[in-house]
Amino acid sequence: MDKILHTLKFSEAGVRGIVGDSLTPQLTSSLASTFGKYTGSGRVIVARDTRNSGKMLEQAVIAGLLSVGCQPLILGIVPTPTVQLMVKHYNASGGIVITASHNPVEWNALKFIGPKGIFLDIMESTELFDVFTQGNLDYCSETDFKTIRYETNAFELHMQKIFNEINVEAIRKCKFKVAIDCCNGVGALYSKYFLEELGCKVVSIHDKPNGIFERPPEPLPKNLKKLSETVKENNCAIGFAQDPDGDRMTLVDDKGQALEPQFTIALAVEHVLYENPGPVVVNIQTSRAVEDIAKSYGCEVFYSKVGEINVVNMMMEYDSEIGGEGNCGGVIWRRLHPGRDSYVAMALMLEMLTLNNESVSDVCASIPKYFTISEKFSCSTFRAREIIREFNKRYQDYECITLDGLRINMPDGWVLLRGSNTEPVLRLTVESKKQQDAKKLLEDFSNEIKKIKI
Amino acid sequence: MRPTKLGSAGIRGVIGAGLTPENAIDFACAFGTFTNGGKVIVALDTRFSSEMLHQAVISGLQSCGCEVHDLGIAPAMLLSFAIPKLKADGALLIGGGHQKESWNSIVPWGTNGAYLNNIQIRELFDIYYGRRFLTAKWDKIKDIVPVPDNIQKQYFDALCKVIDTKAIAAAKFTAICDFCNGSGSIMEKEFASRLGLNLIPINNILSGILPHDPEPRPHSAFQVQSLIKPLKSDVGFVFNSDMSRVSLVSDTGETLSEEYAFPLGVNYLLGKSAKDGLRVISNTCTSKTLDDVVAQHNAVLDKHTTGQSSMIDYLEESNAFICGEGSGSFTSSDWLPCFDAFYMSAVILEAMALKQKTLSELLAELPRYHIVKKTINSSSMNAYNRIRMLKTHFTDAKISEIDGLRLDWDDGWVSLRTSTTEQFIRLISESKDKELAEDRSLKINALLENLG
Repeated sequence: MDKILHTLKFSEAGVRGIVGDSLTPQLTSSLASTFGKYTGSGRVIVARDTRNSGKMLEQAVIAGLLSVGCQPLILGIVPTPTVQLMVKHYNASGGIVITASHNPVEWNALKFIGPKGIFLDIMESTELFDVFTQGNLDYCSETDFKTIRYETNAFELHMQKIFNEINVEAIRKCKFKVAIDCCNGVGALYSKYFLEELGCKVVSIHDKPNGIFERPPEPLPKNLKKLSETVKENNCAIGFAQDPDGDRMTLVDDKGQALEPQFTIALAVEHVLYENPGPVVVNIQTSRAVEDIAKSYGCEVFYSKVGEINVVNMMMEYDSEIGGEGNCGGVIWRRLHPGRDSYVAMALMLEMLTLNNESVSDVCASIPKYFTISEKFSCSTFRAREIIREFNKRYQDYECITLDGLRINMPDGWVLLRGSNTEPVLRLTVESKKQQDAKKLLEDFSNEIKKIKI
Repeated sequence: MRPTKLGSAGIRGVIGAGLTPENAIDFACAFGTFTNGGKVIVALDTRFSSEMLHQAVISGLQSCGCEVHDLGIAPAMLLSFAIPKLKADGALLIGGGHQKESWNSIVPWGTNGAYLNNIQIRELFDIYYGRRFLTAKWDKIKDIVPVPDNIQKQYFDALCKVIDTKAIAAAKFTAICDFCNGSGSIMEKEFASRLGLNLIPINNILSGILPHDPEPRPHSAFQVQSLIKPLKSDVGFVFNSDMSRVSLVSDTGETLSEEYAFPLGVNYLLGKSAKDGLRVISNTCTSKTLDDVVAQHNAVLDKHTTGQSSMIDYLEESNAFICGEGSGSFTSSDWLPCFDAFYMSAVILEAMALKQKTLSELLAELPRYHIVKKTINSSSMNAYNRIRMLKTHFTDAKISEIDGLRLDWDDGWVSLRTSTTEQFIRLISESKDKELAEDRSLKINALLENLG
């Protein structure tokens, strides 16, 4: 099961692959041409993260876009949420972000953003891939070529838009001391500056924007030892850990304790509902703590499939202002824009800290405590589904949600089994009120998965 | 008409229909594989689609692990000059050259600064057709390196060593240069200042807008021609967009056939060297003026297949002195292994300066013929057949098949060949007698129609 079965992955999260293996410039340029044509040969925003293969793929994307008469607007290395904002800001027909987000360094991917500044949903992606498969693209002729445009100030615009929506003065007055782990990604270029603009004294680590990740790129507690130490050594009020493309964020509290990603959305929901109660949308892999917090404000929680676009679509449906993805530390604040944004998350956290004179650990102690752990099994998408079906049969006595994979709700927690959209793996996530119970659940289910032979 | 053409000048095609980002990337990957992931220089011209191909080509090369040195917008000779200077393993030049609007091309160059020769080009195409390319792992992808700005200065330093710039400067020439909005104009100021020219540039905006047919021919010289007299100019140069061809306009305002650039250069350079038995390389469809000039200087003329690649390769192989073609291009063994319109212009200017003659007077030294050039649309598979069948109709002519078909009579000749860069049959007919040249071309054109 250690072997990676195949590395190319087409999904609503974009097209991912390993550079030097499945993700080639040829494929990249064809996809870009298809996207350019699909969105009507208009202006398309192009950006990337710090990965070594980014420039190569960016050029293939530009070539593909130019060849169908698009005008590429190049932002260079910027966070993914910046691109989403810029698509709207420039009235572009769409955007392509070259980033494999939290995937390991050898991976890269194209993520497609529609004219509204949100990722293509599953219907739109399917349509795009159909056009791609049909081939026979109608390339433009010599006289219809557009020239490339550049915008080097995109993050500045993004930052100002955030500052317009939060209490910047209150944060500046507090003069927080904070630590940031940029994971050698886009954050290395902008995060220190962003926090300093908020009046913080900033200690940054992993802050060379070279795409050589000095820690595993997923911002999970086990990968944040250095950030914890940094917070402790410097007596910081809070530590922030980003993923390489700056859409996800995890926290380290003032005691140097790395928090589960679930806390990011729980705290954001707590803070936003405190001022503006309303419906909340989170994905199925989110802690029950969010439900408990919402209940305390008399608000309802709706569950969506995993994946940013699924949460976003549901947020629009229920007109919810705050939402996100618990499992990966993704906070979506629709007042700014409908997309996961680590800079929004940072700003909300700091704003929250200005309110009640409470430390991060105090706030965490005040919200319901759950323990979430997960494990992944290398497995093809097809096999993952077979395993999930088998479990669905076996656990019919429990409340089972089959919205996305299988979530088995239990009195004190839940178990979720689902195939990843981004990698050929089956993920097992369990949550419970007690750490021991969570461990036990994980062990039991993990053994059961290993025993199944399909 | 088929929209793609592969050959010694690389991959050419109609943008969108024959040349797409995908096959540009494939071609770049083939070249990256051919150089074993080496150091490759890339340059482009000003056509609208060139930037697209530029991005595609760099991406492809990087995916093979190549170290890409980007020269940006630059004419062919600067690329040729840069290859050995930077010790590169090769180069790719993106540009439409002399070809019509909507065409573009990617031309591969070897380590010696010349087009790939026959053998190399075959190896490259074998890799291209096989579509199995070298792929670098993610951490072996190399950054793009800009080519140092002083490469242009170094080029002109070298040019000034082979050209008598003092004599040219002393003559205080006024020259009108038509750059066809191509890449040559990035070097116009330095060229003028080094040679002490009063250079009047026209069509020198870096743009994909073609101000006239990009092939230097009398009919593309009318803009220069109209300025010669009002500006009291000594000479007019009409360049193609990558500066590999030139046609001349004389001080009297005559738009000369592009055929005369080469014989004028040969006449001067052979005279200057004053040695017997030097070898000159040309193709089978260049004006008889050249044959006469070479004979006057007791030199030897070898005729080979058409195309820059073949010309340069034979120049090197047979230790020849000069090679060139009637399309308005030549170079000598003292200079770069590439057709360089700055060099060619400088040679003509030096001839005018040292001989103290006007261009029209230099021209008067040459025997002149009437030449008729026609392009006949034809898919090339059919074309070979039709050309071969023509042989039976001309039993009175001497026949040569070095390149296509050449028919020689005492009073003229006709050459028929398929173009190396486009889907055409090129028909050239030459004679002392204008009517005879015209008649023969019309007769053969009609015969081809019947055979088709």
